[in-house]
Amino acid sequence: MGIVKRDEGKKVNSDINVTPMVDVMLVLLIIFMVVTPMLNNKVNVDLAKVLNPTTMPDADHQDSVKVSITRDGKVYLGATQISLADLGPKAQDLLQNKPDKTVYIRSDARARYGIVMDAIDNLRTAGVDQVAFLTKPIRQSAPPPPVPGAKNPATSHTPGS
Amino acid sequence: MSMSTGGVGGLSSAPNVTPLIDVLLVLLIIFMVIRPPNPSGLNALVPQPPKKPQNQQQNDRTIVVQVTSRSGGGQPGYKINQTDVPYGQLLPQLESIYATRATKVLFIKGDPNLNFAVIANVIDIGKQASVDHIGIITPKIAAGQ
Repeated sequence: MGIVKRDEGKKVNSDINVTPMVDVMLVLLIIFMVVTPMLNNKVNVDLAKVLNPTTMPDADHQDSVKVSITRDGKVYLGATQISLADLGPKAQDLLQNKPDKTVYIRSDARARYGIVMDAIDNLRTAGVDQVAFLTKPIRQSAPPPPVPGAKNPATSHTPGS
Repeated sequence: MSMSTGGVGGLSSAPNVTPLIDVLLVLLIIFMVIRPPNPSGLNALVPQPPKKPQNQQQNDRTIVVQVTSRSGGGQPGYKINQTDVPYGQLLPQLESIYATRATKVLFIKGDPNLNFAVIANVIDIGKQASVDHIGIITPKIAAGQ
């Protein structure tokens, strides 16, 4: 980079000021940092935390069958909301050409278990017998969460009292 | 890249680009290193309806963990085959039951009003007790398919 010093004050300075371009670039960078996690065409669900999950890399495939159950009881097949009655036939259609007939269930940690069981019932009629509940692993440094259902989050695992 | 200035008295006010490029390279390396986490979860099986109408065989060897919700929002209750088990004893008892078994199968029956996290926790405990086939009992299954 060379700097040329001009001593004439009458000519117009036509050099490009780089600072605004860098500002624009940083704004775009921040935008993409924030937006990218929402781009994967998935329903946002707060998964349950579990100590020993098994890794399931196939869950991220574009054509894996994902059933998401949100906290307020809505059931989604992929990214579209679906009623329980339609779940069976539509899941069966998606599973027809697949060798691995596993359905991945992304259930919110606070979703009502009755809805989860109903979803499993409807998948059963579609001939699904293997189901995988997606969960979040618990980091070893943080203490394991208390058993949900308690009013105050206690740190011990003894029930009641 | 060259820049010219019209500064008076020989002063240069051109911004030094080198630190900006350094920052950019640091950010680039950060985003190359951070990878999205692999999805992980718990496998479970769903009992299929029997092909022929037959009486349900009362297998004495089946273990069913039942999770009941207590009214008033207290801690859920746990039962192994009709015997109440406190939460702290769940893992040790399951481990001792399955220590002597070759085929480790566990069934989980949960109250519909529970949060899913409770059931996920029970499945997790089952996996810790080295059970490889965990079945979910739904209302239709319990009613005899």
